[in-house]
Amino acid sequence: MTWLRAGWAVVLLAVAAFPLSAGWSGSGPWSLFAGAVVVAFGVVVQARRFRLTTGMTLVGAGAAALIGGYFVARGAIAGGPVEVLRDSVPRLLTSARPAPPTPDLLMPGVLLVFLVALVVAVSVAGEGRSLIGPPVGAVVLYAAGALVTAGRADGRGLVAVGVVALAAFGWVVVDRAESTRRVSLGPPGAVLAVLAAAALLAGVLPNRNAFEPRELVRPPVTDIAVSNPLPQLASWAAMADTELLRMRGPELPVRLVVLADYTGAAWQASSLYGPIGAVAPPDLPAGRRAHQADVELVVGALDGNWLPTVGRPVSTSLGDVMVDPDSGSLMLPRGMGPGLSYDVRGVVDRPNDDDLATAKVPTGDAIRRYLDLPGLPATLADYARQAVLNTSTPYEQAVALEQVVRLDRHPDAEAPVGSSYARIEQFLYGPLGDAGAAKGTAEQFATAFAVLGRAVGLPTRVVVGFQPVPEGPDGYRVIRGVDATAWPEVYFADWGWVPFDPVSGTDSGPSAASKREVLNRLASTTAQPTVPAKDGPPLVLPPEQAKSDAAQAKPQARHWLLLFPALPLSVLLVLACLRGARHSRLRRAGALGAWASVLDLLLLARRQPARHLTAPDIAALAPDSEQALRLAALADRAAFAPDQAGPDDSWRLAGQVRAGIRRLVPWYRRLFWAVDPRPLRRRW
Amino acid sequence: MTTMTGTAIGEHEIAAFQALHKRVGDAVETALRGKREVVDLVLVAMFAGGHVLLEDVPGTGKTTLARAVAGALGGLSRRVQFTPDLLPSDVTGTSVYDPKSGQVGFRPGPVFANVVLADEINRAAAKTQSALLEVMEERTVTVDGVAHAVPDPFLVVATQNPIDLDGTYRLPEAQLDRFMLRTSIGYPDLDHELDVLRPGSGAGRIGTVPTVTNPHQVAECARRLATLHVADRILRYITELGTATRSDDRLRLGASTRGLRALVRCVQVYAASHGRHFAVPSDVQRLCAPVLAHRLVLTREAQLAGVTTAEVLADATARVEVPRPTPQ
Repeated sequence: MTWLRAGWAVVLLAVAAFPLSAGWSGSGPWSLFAGAVVVAFGVVVQARRFRLTTGMTLVGAGAAALIGGYFVARGAIAGGPVEVLRDSVPRLLTSARPAPPTPDLLMPGVLLVFLVALVVAVSVAGEGRSLIGPPVGAVVLYAAGALVTAGRADGRGLVAVGVVALAAFGWVVVDRAESTRRVSLGPPGAVLAVLAAAALLAGVLPNRNAFEPRELVRPPVTDIAVSNPLPQLASWAAMADTELLRMRGPELPVRLVVLADYTGAAWQASSLYGPIGAVAPPDLPAGRRAHQADVELVVGALDGNWLPTVGRPVSTSLGDVMVDPDSGSLMLPRGMGPGLSYDVRGVVDRPNDDDLATAKVPTGDAIRRYLDLPGLPATLADYARQAVLNTSTPYEQAVALEQVVRLDRHPDAEAPVGSSYARIEQFLYGPLGDAGAAKGTAEQFATAFAVLGRAVGLPTRVVVGFQPVPEGPDGYRVIRGVDATAWPEVYFADWGWVPFDPVSGTDSGPSAASKREVLNRLASTTAQPTVPAKDGPPLVLPPEQAKSDAAQAKPQARHWLLLFPALPLSVLLVLACLRGARHSRLRRAGALGAWASVLDLLLLARRQPARHLTAPDIAALAPDSEQALRLAALADRAAFAPDQAGPDDSWRLAGQVRAGIRRLVPWYRRLFWAVDPRPLRRRW
Repeated sequence: MTTMTGTAIGEHEIAAFQALHKRVGDAVETALRGKREVVDLVLVAMFAGGHVLLEDVPGTGKTTLARAVAGALGGLSRRVQFTPDLLPSDVTGTSVYDPKSGQVGFRPGPVFANVVLADEINRAAAKTQSALLEVMEERTVTVDGVAHAVPDPFLVVATQNPIDLDGTYRLPEAQLDRFMLRTSIGYPDLDHELDVLRPGSGAGRIGTVPTVTNPHQVAECARRLATLHVADRILRYITELGTATRSDDRLRLGASTRGLRALVRCVQVYAASHGRHFAVPSDVQRLCAPVLAHRLVLTREAQLAGVTTAEVLADATARVEVPRPTPQ
């Protein structure tokens, strides 16, 4: 093993391990992985010095690494060595993403890098001084990184391009430096061709919905009986100046719990929670325009099990947090206490006004939960239908409903609590003067919007949390009891959950301007729906919505259709590469390769010579027999003479002979010769 | 031709040999027209240190060929007409009393020549045939306990008439094996026969054959050609051909190891005569029938079915995969 070859292999593996290190937070993991590569090569160098066999080196160093891995992780995972090593990967896949860089979570990554580097080092140090080992090892590490991060670590493929460039560089430079013979540029050329083809294919193939290995892991699910925090809104309002928590980060509403299940009497929170890293994907996909927010939260007087967060949380610095993957509600089973400090990274859907103007809402079983209104009174259904009269898009319906719920109704912390149909009917159109008529807390405003929205086919849910507050001089946003609120959200296809605020109409979500524009257009119809008669007609979905659902199904089908040309193209590409590699090997073989290339072409032209015919016999049958005979003589000399001839014009002759053979075959039969696999089955 | 060294024969020596081979061939062809392939085969046997069995009808130039070779070689040439009453001593020589000196001395027979034409060898008794064949193998004649070496080079060109077999003694297989190759001359084509018939033609006149070399040079060449390179793949191919004949149901006796060694030896000379310092598979295929066919023995059923050993060999050659000049 030369230092140049070893150095190239180490750098290649270290670069390829970079995406893998993105599976853990911080820059330390990459340094650790690079160190593991260096250690593996050092082990092999020492093994060679002590004349250990390859088998002994692999078994010894591999066993030592596994034992070390066991001792690192045994404190965190119960069971014997086999269980500890076996469960380390599922444990990593159910941790937060990126995973905290704790020793037990880092162990599987370091172990993988070390073992791969060990095998690569052995292959590089072997007799063959493999040039294929390092790129293969790099591909393994890169693929592992792509799996751990679900392709997010190298979204633009820059590291992949770097790995390919490094591999090609090594193939050219290492061999040139270590060998005096001519080095073919065929393999690097083939790799670059594959890369170019992959880049072309990437433009037409669907690049979303990457394979997610975490979906293969069934995380432990905990059924936790939790209380609905909506009634607490009144108590938080009562302690208006009390600091509940403080936050450092962008100005965003803080979410405490998402309520998606409505019984007709009350909202219910999900009771099934799993580890935060387990990405059973949410039942409704996130929007296309989303941004990531990192915040630091410090708990004050807030208590309970619900852990405040922003957006849909993807990671947290707390290790024992559980999450409801559908809603993103965080749960801390041990409960919160004053002074608890933690970081949260969340994803917030943020479509723009134009996106929403034409947005549709999905249909099917996935949203049934968000449309469910058991025993909805016909009066409420009719009220909802009148509220959205003349609207043409789901967004207009949502804006219209927001306006209808807000008009002539006042927030009142003293108003009766409750989310039942009766309370909502009382809130919306109860006789003025009665308790709770046209008055309510954020609970009634949000619930009224959500129920009316579901009644007209909008998937809705209610979020309990805290409205955004300005930043203080110390960089923290102090959130007090008065900031507690609830708001409804509507799910739009492709754009995710969008918040609305029927209480004040001035919060985040769609801009006030776009809402005003919609309201101006609908001014004559959204002013005030009449109070409907009891037992109105049953609710049906508007026909426009059914059409939009069919239209949404088409793009996904088109994605699948792309696979039909992509698969055969990939096969052809692979065959072309294999044939190209064979051609490169033949070119390196001189006259022998030139003659073999002629035999390849005879095979493709269905003129395969009988097995007992000698080279001159075959040459005599070729169309350009004079050149063929000269080539056959050169090949015979190369094969059977005791000495090697100098450079010859065998490949020039082969070109002439091959051209003659091609002329015998019609062009349409030659179309696929470049990818015909038959020559690959020949030994040479 | 350069002098003998211990190393394998090189390309420049091959070029010199090719020129010599061409000169000898051209010289022989002045007497025997239009039979260059047969001439070349005889020369292969000569340079390979073997002997030739010419099997042909009378009047095709067998004797002319043998005497022309001798003439071009410049050495001593003898002709022995084999008859049923020919004695071994008539061939090898005998001890006679010299009344002048009063001593018994050895009088060499006709085998003491560089080229011996054994005409109609199958007409002599087995005892006489054996005496000649023993000299062919041993290259010495032992009389009264004294060994007398025949000249070097020593080429026996024996002829057989395959038509008139009455009163002949068929050569046994073991003795046929002593001939390096067997061939036939055949009638000349129309143009060459016209040339032979034309009055004043030099065809058939041994006296017109120029002497282009000498026995010493031929013997030296033969020694050097034995070092010509034959790749292992070629040797394996020859072995597989031999194995194919041994496993053929139509044969009672396949190619012997001595036969395969003779094939290798001939292949060396044949390759050199084509200007190569290495052998190729086509050399083997070209020489396979002349060298091996007369050593194979057909079963009685095959004989009755009209099968020939040449056909069996052709089938064996078609069955065995030839080594191809492709990367290994």
